[in-house]
Amino acid sequence: MNLLLQGVAGTLILIGSLFLFLGALGVYRFPDVYNRLQAGTKSTTLGALSLILGVGLAEPAWLPKALVLMLFILLTNPVSSHAIGRASYKSGYPLWEGSIVDHCQEHDACKGGGEA
Amino acid sequence: MTLLNLLETLLVIGMLGAALFVVRTRDLLAAVVVTAIISLVAAILFYVLQAPDVAITEAAIDAGLTTAIFLVALRKTERYEK
Amino acid sequence: MTRRVLAILLLLILAVALYQALARVPFGTDRMAVSRYYLDHGVQDLGGVNIVTSVVVLYRGFDTLGEVTVLFLAATGLGALLHGLALHDEKRRRTKTPPSLIMRTATRILFPLILLLGAYVFVHGHLTPGGGFPGGVVVALAYLLGFLAHDHWRVNHRAVRWIEGLAGMTYVIIGLLGLYLAGSFLANFLPPGTPGRLFSAGIIPLIYITIGFKVGSEMTGLLSEMKEITE
Repeated sequence: MNLLLQGVAGTLILIGSLFLFLGALGVYRFPDVYNRLQAGTKSTTLGALSLILGVGLAEPAWLPKALVLMLFILLTNPVSSHAIGRASYKSGYPLWEGSIVDHCQEHDACKGGGEA
Repeated sequence: MTLLNLLETLLVIGMLGAALFVVRTRDLLAAVVVTAIISLVAAILFYVLQAPDVAITEAAIDAGLTTAIFLVALRKTERYEK
Repeated sequence: MTRRVLAILLLLILAVALYQALARVPFGTDRMAVSRYYLDHGVQDLGGVNIVTSVVVLYRGFDTLGEVTVLFLAATGLGALLHGLALHDEKRRRTKTPPSLIMRTATRILFPLILLLGAYVFVHGHLTPGGGFPGGVVVALAYLLGFLAHDHWRVNHRAVRWIEGLAGMTYVIIGLLGLYLAGSFLANFLPPGTPGRLFSAGIIPLIYITIGFKVGSEMTGLLSEMKEITE
């Protein structure tokens, strides 16, 4: 039972580190602010959540604290990337030249930014 | 050189590179954000050197409060230098 | 060009000098008598499990009072400097964008949680790492989140100044109580208790709660003034 728990924890930690690496690679390679935000948020949030859950399972005394940390990261990471994306659109950062559609221009909350 | 020393060396080299970027760049907004990253690395180094109180204090003050104050001060002046 | 070369040369000389001065000091070994005394006798004399906060508040409490005074002077000076320095420049007035629904909703959930975290950090200063100063700063960061996410988040300046003054006064009153009850200023007049429990370690929890309120209200007032100059 203990060996199974350690095995699951180790696998979760490995998966978490893999997703964090992929997130960093995405931030490095994507051409545009908006694409980099996609890689930097989704991938790193999943990687961090998986890593903390793995650590919480490996040491069962830390499991409640690990769950609270996971909830906090799940709450704050998407909100902060939303704020960054909105701010860079409003500041007029140009979209990547291969972009096809800009849905935000249809809403009146998004006037004045993001020349494609 | 153990793994911990390797981590410390990499972090210090990262800090030096970021400090060079802060001095050389013309975009003051990027300089402020990279200053916050330098303090974050300093907080990690404090934790690796077994001083958790200083690490918590450094992270709370410098990656939050002084960045906010710098940004408000930057609002009153120009964003690009020279 | 020459100035830059001279600056780098000066920095190199300074680095070599600092290295020569500090390389032979035996940091962290057993040659330091005072820290050895604190580490050996700190827990049973004072009851606080966190040695750092025992040193900061009880063995060297007067320096902490000086630190609190310096913070107070800095915040007051900043308030005096920024009074009435609003952004009256018309050509820089951008159109105000209202904060989005996501930010407002997330702030409504996160603001009490961050306040709770700050209060936890400064109440448990004698048990866990942290203490009064990071706890107060985390409380101020919760108010910073409110400023960033809401359009009309206002802090009552009179209340903030009153809390700051009262907290500073409470610190000195605790010191004077130590003088009256135990013989010297800022002496420990409460019993040490069992190490590891919440109500232990003498006057450390009281002083850290005071410092937490003081630093929190100070930084909140500072951030509020800085926000108002960008209105």
